Amino acid sequence: MKKGKKILFGVLGGAAALYAGLFAVFYFDLDGKFLYHVVEPFLCKHYDKIERRDITKIPYDVDKYPEYEYKT
Amino acid sequence: MTGMKNFKKKLRDFVYGKPHRERRLGELYEPKTGLYKHREWRGIKDTFYYFNRIWLYNYGMMVYDVMRYGGVVNFAKGVWRYRWIGQTYLTVMHWYDRGFEGLRGPALAASAWHYRAMTSETIRQFMRMFSADANLHGGKRNELWHKTIAHDETVAGAIFYPWRDRLDDVPLQMVPYFVTCHVNCHTVLHYIDAVQSIGLPGDPCPMCQAEAGLSVLDDMPDYFPFLVTSNEACDGSVGTSILQDWAYDKPLFAMPQPMQFDDPLVQEHCRREIEECWKFIEEQTGMPFDYDCFVKYIERFNELTRFEHEKWDVAANSEYYPVCGSAQALYRIYYSQAGWRDIWAQTDKRVKKILHRCVEQKINCYPEARHRVIAWSCAPLFYSYWPTWAYNCWGLHVIINMDSLMFDIDVRTDTPEHLMEDFTIYNEWAPMRRMAVGGYRHIFELWENMERFHCDMVMMYDQIQCKGMQGITGMFEDEFRKRNIHAIWMPHALPDSRTVTRAEIRSKINDYMFTVMHEEPLDPTLLDFDDSQGW
Amino acid sequence: MRDLKHLIYFEDLLQEANNALVKQAKESGKRALGYTCYFIPEVLLDLEGCFGVRLRAPRCTSPDIATYYMSGRTCHYGRSLLERALEGGYNFLDAQLATETCTVTCRFQEHLQMMDVIQNPDFFCEFTDVPFKKTQNSIEHYEKQLRAHVLNPIHERFGIDTSDEALLRAIERHNELCALISEIGDHRKEDNPNITGYEFHVIQLVSLVCPKELILPYIRETAEELRTREPDPKPWFRCKVLLTGSENDDPGFTQLIESCGAMVVADRYCYGSLPGREQIELREGESPLTAVARHYIATSECPRYMEQHVMRERKKHLADWAKEYKADGIIVESNKFCEYWSYERTIDTIVLGRDFGIPVCSIEKEYINSASGQLRTRFQAFVESIEIKQIQEGK
Repeated sequence: MKKGKKILFGVLGGAAALYAGLFAVFYFDLDGKFLYHVVEPFLCKHYDKIERRDITKIPYDVDKYPEYEYKT
Repeated sequence: MTGMKNFKKKLRDFVYGKPHRERRLGELYEPKTGLYKHREWRGIKDTFYYFNRIWLYNYGMMVYDVMRYGGVVNFAKGVWRYRWIGQTYLTVMHWYDRGFEGLRGPALAASAWHYRAMTSETIRQFMRMFSADANLHGGKRNELWHKTIAHDETVAGAIFYPWRDRLDDVPLQMVPYFVTCHVNCHTVLHYIDAVQSIGLPGDPCPMCQAEAGLSVLDDMPDYFPFLVTSNEACDGSVGTSILQDWAYDKPLFAMPQPMQFDDPLVQEHCRREIEECWKFIEEQTGMPFDYDCFVKYIERFNELTRFEHEKWDVAANSEYYPVCGSAQALYRIYYSQAGWRDIWAQTDKRVKKILHRCVEQKINCYPEARHRVIAWSCAPLFYSYWPTWAYNCWGLHVIINMDSLMFDIDVRTDTPEHLMEDFTIYNEWAPMRRMAVGGYRHIFELWENMERFHCDMVMMYDQIQCKGMQGITGMFEDEFRKRNIHAIWMPHALPDSRTVTRAEIRSKINDYMFTVMHEEPLDPTLLDFDDSQGW
Repeated sequence: MRDLKHLIYFEDLLQEANNALVKQAKESGKRALGYTCYFIPEVLLDLEGCFGVRLRAPRCTSPDIATYYMSGRTCHYGRSLLERALEGGYNFLDAQLATETCTVTCRFQEHLQMMDVIQNPDFFCEFTDVPFKKTQNSIEHYEKQLRAHVLNPIHERFGIDTSDEALLRAIERHNELCALISEIGDHRKEDNPNITGYEFHVIQLVSLVCPKELILPYIRETAEELRTREPDPKPWFRCKVLLTGSENDDPGFTQLIESCGAMVVADRYCYGSLPGREQIELREGESPLTAVARHYIATSECPRYMEQHVMRERKKHLADWAKEYKADGIIVESNKFCEYWSYERTIDTIVLGRDFGIPVCSIEKEYINSASGQLRTRFQAFVESIEIKQIQEGK
């Protein structure tokens, strides 16, 4: 019984601490700061390095799509 | 006694939040980034509403939506591959913050539900893209790839209702370009630069540039076997199609809308283009047109339109309309362009409750409003939340905007003939078009709408690269003078935050309010602050 | 080469919209009908009792009042037209037959509708909706539009005979003019042409801005003259180019290119003759108006066409014309702020060089090119690059 109470209080306490922690993240905009200063620069570096196809090398086939015949 | 008074005041501020004129919201920002030193304390009830029902709830729902619309693996692959999602998705809650600064009670709740709906629909769209994307699946064109129709974002989603139960339609640029600009304005700049790097001059509409730039920079998922494009909204959109056709190199059906749309003679032509588009889809997919399905979704959308009218009625004729200017504008353009989705109906149900409560209990959600503003022409995407700032700083309350008034037709479904008659017009009354083409008289419907919504001021968007609007500025000036209307010209370059910055926009408004209106700000800390590097 | 007999007279006619022949026609009681776009078929404006004038604003370098109305961020051509209208330069017009085919000319014409710009009590401005495709649906739509917004208004307001018979006669006269201009233009296909690009540009323009029946005798005489005109034995040019792009009614621009050594042998731009001077074919069982509608939809090479195969074919058509006219290169121009041509020029510049092996010079210009130094440098460099290519190829 005591153990059960302890677990219950533990869970409630943990939940309360988590809630308080999340509130601190929310209130002090820690999510924004983390995303702005850490995540975005990291991702930007990654995107800048991605090899991309060069559009000017893509064929431009004039005859590929024939005149579309209307059905209506 | 003074100490006691101070204590009581502080306690009252803690419990209920500071009164509008004492908030000093500008002091919450960190320099340059637009991040908050701390988020706003709105009183116990509203702060915890924001924390629980908006911040926590939406973070949770963002995970949930990703799971249910395609799973974490597809999402992670997409984030790793496409700049527009990685740089934008995680910053969504800041977009909420910027839109809702200073809001309280029903205004906060109603506006947040609108944002939530847009977030959910956005997730649905990009997860469908990623799930079908051959780029993310080793070049394999899976079943979803074959069952997804791509279309220009300016082609109304309603065109695809006849296949909604069997296929899905995902606009090409709605999420990768349009939505991302609002959430994180850094992303789009890469696309604008990319298209200029292959020789496009800098002066065409930057929206079209960015849309073309997505294909130039190879940042569009390969999720579709064919696409439907349109001439909507302008010459630049037509030009964009030329580049998109080259980049995507897939069967393309152009479904142009007539320019002189209120000429009765154009209707048959327009209708035939729509019907031919349906034939094209049948041919491409092997799936026949489903009339019942078409009617079903049209009727559902009519329900949304009816509620929109109810909203406009409250906004026009009372002080009890809870939805903030940016939520009104963005939600309306998003859902009307995308067409019926379940999330819009769910949202309208919730907002209806809030709206009815505001009317019944006579809750004035914007008590410090000094001017009722109508916003006209196309808005700056990187600063779509300016109405929130304008209300907090100056008491300028945006009641309605031009794009909200599009697609304003209850489509009759009693006979196929009526349905097609109305649907043709519906298709022509698209955003950035209904007022912009077909004659200057449409753009001058501003005057009627000022009266209809009881507005005493105009925020005149001055999209400096929009040839259509630039081509008529003098006539507007003449009319403003003739009618003795207070109008503030707000220069901007749609998505490109470099051309005219947010600070410059604010400064234009400040100057007008000081020098012409001779008014003092409600919150002087918002007059001038540096958010030049903010999202 | 000896001078063309009427060239100076033609140049004079281009100095203002209300030129001597326009005045003469007006004095004889004819109605002057203005238009800007190829999609208003000039043949319909040249019915008996009226004549079409494709609007220009020559020498308009500073459209100040128009810039107030249309801002400085719209194409100089549209603003120049409005400026000229505000100056009273188009008061001779009895009507403007308008289209919403490009944004800024549309706005210009809306100003004529909204403001009391044209000081002529009879004046009206009527818009035609022009389709974006070359399909049968588009032709039918376009025909209805032309009937409702061109023929009916001029009949109702000015009593112009718009019967099929009258249309047939107009088509016949139009075809005669087109045949003559085409004949004159064909001289440009010769190895050593006996006409310059500038001269042809002037001739093409007078045929657009003057009453047809009054200019026709001069054109006829010029065509006759060219049948025997001998070119200088040693060609005056260093290479030949095809000029393509957006609106260009400035012969000075062609002159500028030619002064750099590149003869303009083909003119595929708005106000040019490719397309523009093809004869209208009357098919069996087809009404004259249907023939006109089909002709203009089919011949236009405007970048506002959106069908997939049409978008792509345009590039091939340019390459074909370059071959037919023996052009060594292509100059692609777009007026600043012209959105259609900004995109078309971008892709033309890449594809024509890459896929068709044709050297391309891509430039952005103003309506009136008062600051020509930079353009001259570009054209000179282009001519040199073509010469180097030719040397490398052993030509």
